[in-house]
Amino acid sequence: MLTRLAGGHVIDPVHGQDGIADLWMRDGRIVAAPDGGDADVTHDLGGKVVMAGAIDIHSHIAGANVNTARLLLPHWHPAAADRPDATWLTRAGWSTDVIGRLYAAMGYTTVVEPAVAPHHALHAHLELADTPIIDTAILSILGNDDFLLGLLRDGESGSAIADYAAWTLSATRGLGIKVINAGGAMAFKSNLRAFSLDDVVPDYGVTSRQIVAALQKAADALGVPHPVHVHCNNLGMAGNVETALATISGFDGLPIHLAHVQFYAYGTEGGRGFSSAAPRLAEAVNRAKTVTVDVGQVMFGQTTTISSDVLRQFNARDRARPRKWVIYDGDSNGGGMVPYEYRRSDFFNAVQWAAGLELFLLIDDPSRVFFTTDHPNGAPFTSYPDLMALLMSRDLRAEWMATLPAEALAVTTLASISREYTLTEIATMTRAAPARLLGLSDRGHLGAGARADIAVYDLGNHRDRAGAFRHAALVFKDGELVVRDGAVVSTPPGRALSLAPEPDAAIGRRLQAYYESRYGLSDALLRVPEWAVGRSQSFEVVSCGR
Amino acid sequence: MTRDESVVAAWIDGRPVTRKDAAREAARLLATARQPVIAGLGADIAGVRAVLDLAGRVGAAVDHMHADALLRDVDVMREAGMMVTTPSEARLRADVLLLAGHSLAEAPDMRARRLDPACPAKRIVWLCPPRKLDPGLVPLHSVGRDTGELPALLAVLRARLNGHPVATAARTIKAIDAMVTELKSARFGVAVWSAGELDALAIEMLCTLVGDLNAGTRFTGLPLPPGDNGRGVLEACGWLSGYPMRTGFGRGYPEHDPWRFDASRLAGSRESDCAVWISAYGAEAPAWTRDLPTIALTTPGARFRTPPRVQVEVGTPGIDHDAVQFVPASGTLMPITAARPSEAESVASVIADILAALPESSSC
Ligand SMILES: [Zn+2]
Repeated sequence: MLTRLAGGHVIDPVHGQDGIADLWMRDGRIVAAPDGGDADVTHDLGGKVVMAGAIDIHSHIAGANVNTARLLLPHWHPAAADRPDATWLTRAGWSTDVIGRLYAAMGYTTVVEPAVAPHHALHAHLELADTPIIDTAILSILGNDDFLLGLLRDGESGSAIADYAAWTLSATRGLGIKVINAGGAMAFKSNLRAFSLDDVVPDYGVTSRQIVAALQKAADALGVPHPVHVHCNNLGMAGNVETALATISGFDGLPIHLAHVQFYAYGTEGGRGFSSAAPRLAEAVNRAKTVTVDVGQVMFGQTTTISSDVLRQFNARDRARPRKWVIYDGDSNGGGMVPYEYRRSDFFNAVQWAAGLELFLLIDDPSRVFFTTDHPNGAPFTSYPDLMALLMSRDLRAEWMATLPAEALAVTTLASISREYTLTEIATMTRAAPARLLGLSDRGHLGAGARADIAVYDLGNHRDRAGAFRHAALVFKDGELVVRDGAVVSTPPGRALSLAPEPDAAIGRRLQAYYESRYGLSDALLRVPEWAVGRSQSFEVVSCGR
Repeated sequence: MTRDESVVAAWIDGRPVTRKDAAREAARLLATARQPVIAGLGADIAGVRAVLDLAGRVGAAVDHMHADALLRDVDVMREAGMMVTTPSEARLRADVLLLAGHSLAEAPDMRARRLDPACPAKRIVWLCPPRKLDPGLVPLHSVGRDTGELPALLAVLRARLNGHPVATAARTIKAIDAMVTELKSARFGVAVWSAGELDALAIEMLCTLVGDLNAGTRFTGLPLPPGDNGRGVLEACGWLSGYPMRTGFGRGYPEHDPWRFDASRLAGSRESDCAVWISAYGAEAPAWTRDLPTIALTTPGARFRTPPRVQVEVGTPGIDHDAVQFVPASGTLMPITAARPSEAESVASVIADILAALPESSSC
C-alpha cells in the first residue's frame, strides 16, 4: 500500500529539510516520490509539522526496579500521567500498556530503558514485550559486578574485558553498556557511604575511574555504536560539578555519554551553599567534542526516583516524599526507589529546574545534548511537552520563573539567557542525534529507506505548543497509523533493538563455570531466550562497528 | 484421532469432552457471568499474561492462592518501605543472620545458605526458633517461642538497639542485649522472614529494625517467597495492571482492593457467580465450600469439594513445558526449560482457547 503525506511542513535535519513537502511510504518504509500513479491513501497535512518519530535515549520504563516502584506507589499512578479524564487510561495503573500508549501519543516511537542489571534482563524484556507500539532497547549495566571487578583486580587484559562485555551484551540482548556510580554499589555493601571517582572499591583494589575506563575501552573495541553510558559518582550533591568536570576531562579521548548531567550541575555558592554550576558544565561539554550528555530535567510535581545507584538512593531516603522507600542490595547493582515531590516553593528544587534549562540552552550543539527528564527521576516523561515548550519560548520561561523563589534563581543564570530552540533544533535533539548516538541508521530521519515512524503535530497555536506535542495529530509506526488527534487508534507490538556481538567461546565456558560455582545456577540467570520473552516480541539486531 | 481427543484431559460436568468443547463451555460461563473471579493462579508468566487478557475481556477479579502472604510484604513495603537483598548475596556476603519465626527451619535452602563453605561463616540470632533444630542451624542467641511474641520482642530489641530502657524480665533483656551486640557487629547482616508465618506488624517492625541497624553497619532483609510462582505472579500483575493481585477489571480498568477482590470472600459471599481456578504447580483445589460454577485448570490429581463445571488438565510449568517463573534461589524471573517435555497443555494455551471462544460482544 502506498501512502502519501501531503503538504506538511517537513522538518528533517539529517537531510537539511525544513519546508513544505510530500512524504511517501510503502510497506513500513519511507520511499521516494513515485514517478506516476496515485497513493492508495492520502493524508492532507496542510498547516501541520512533520518529523520522524522521536527517540528517547534514557527513560526508566521497565524492569525489576521500575516494577518495585509500581508496587511501592499504588496511589501515584494518576500523578504520573497528564491525560484526559474521559478515557479509561485515567484510572488505569502505571502499566506497560499505558506507557506505550502515552509515549506514542506524543509521537515517540523508540525508547531506551537505560539501566538493566544483567540478572534482571529477562524481566526487563518481558515488560518491554508488553509495552505496545514503541520499539525499545535496554542498556546492560556493568561496573559493580564481581566478575568484572575480579578481572580488573587480577590485571587481566583489555581483550578479556571486551570479551566479557560482548558476552553480557549478547546474553542480555542489550543495545549498549551502562555504568552506574562505578564500584559504588559494591562499596556500599562494605558500608562505605560515599564514593567518588578515585575512591577504591574495598576487596578489589580498583577505582571508579579504572572501571569506567575499562568499559569505555571495551565498548570502543567491540564497535558498540553507543558510547559507554555513564552515571557519574556523587549524584545530587552540592559541589558535584567537580566530579562531572573531572569525568569529562578524564575520559574525553574516546566517546563517552554522561547521563542526566543536571544532577551533577551543582556548585556551593550562595547563602545556602547550593547553586547552579550549569554554565561551567555546559562550557566543558562545548569544548569536549567526544562527549555527549543528556539533561535529566527536573519538572515540578510528584514523582518517584528509581536508580541503580543504591548508595545514593540510600543517602536520599530521608528526603522521601511520601516517607517510604525500598533499598535493594542486588547481586551487583541493586537499586533504590525513593518517592519525591519537586516543589516550586523549594529552593533546591527551583535551582535544579533552572540548572537543567541552563544546560539545554548553553550547550551549543543540539546533537550532543539529549532531551531527557531521566524519567521518572527528574519528572515523568509525560512532562516532555511542557519542557519542549519551555525550550522554545523565553516568555514562557519568564512566566514560570515568576512563580519561583527569587533567591533560587539568583544562584543561576537562567534569567539572562534568551535562546529559543527552533523546531529544527528540537528535531535534531529528539530525532536525528539519538538515532546516530545509538547506531540506528534507519531512524531519526525521513529519507527514502527510513522506517516509516512519523509524527505529525498541529503547532498552529503558539500559546499551546505543549498541548500540540502531548497530543500528536497523527503518528505512524512502521507506516501504520497508531495515533489520531492524540488518541491511540491501534496498538501493534513493538520490537526490541539489540546488539548481537559474537562472544568468544572461551569466555562463555569460563562464565558458565563461574555461574555454577558462585550462584549454583546456570548462566540462564542472565540469558534472554526468544521463547521466554514471548508475546511475539521480535528482536532487531543492530550491527556493531562504527 | 486428533491430538485434542487423544491427549487433552477435559471434562464438562465430569463427562470427557474435547478441548474445544471445554473452551466453548468455559467461554459461555464467563461471558454470562456477572462477577467472575480468576483465583488460584498457580501459573507461569505466559499463563498470567493470558489470565490478565481474559480478566480484561470478561471483567474478572484476579487473585492468587498465596496473596495473603504476598500482600503482607507488599503492604509493609508500600506503607513504610524496606531494605532487601537477594538469596545469593545473603549466602555469599552475610556474616550474621537474624531469623524471625520457626518456619525458617524448614525453608528449603536455609541450611545451604548457612553452611556453604565458600561463603563467610554465619552467626545466627533467632527470634522464636522452633524447639528442635538441625545442628547446623543452632543459633548463638535466641529468644521467644511463639511467633505471636514477635512484635513485643522486636519492640524490646529496637529499644535496646537505640539505647532505651525497657520494663521487662531481666533475663529477656540480657538475651536481647547479647543479640544487639551481635547484630551491631555484623559486617553485612541479613534479616530473614516468611510472610506466610509472620503478621504485618512483625514484618514492619523487623524492617524498621533493619533500617535502624544501617545507622552503623550494613544490614538488609530477605523475605522468603511463597510457592506456586506467587512472586512471579505479583511481578507480572504489577507491570500488566500497575497493581498487585486482588485487582478487579469489572469497570473496564484495573482497580486494586485487597478486601473487595479477595477470591475467598467473593466466592463465599455470592458476590461472584463464576470462578476460574488455576493450579499448574501443585494440583491445589479451592478452599471455598460454596457450590460455585468453576472452570478448573489444574495438574492431575486435584481433589475438589464440588466437581468443577469445566475441568482441563494442564502440565507443570518447567517440567512439562518451557516456562518463565520466579526462581527462589536467584530471586529473579528465569527461563526454565522443560525437565520432561510432554504434550500436556499449558495454562496460557487453555486460556487462549477460552479467549478465542468468547463472543465478540463481551469485550469491554
Ligand atoms: Zn537514569
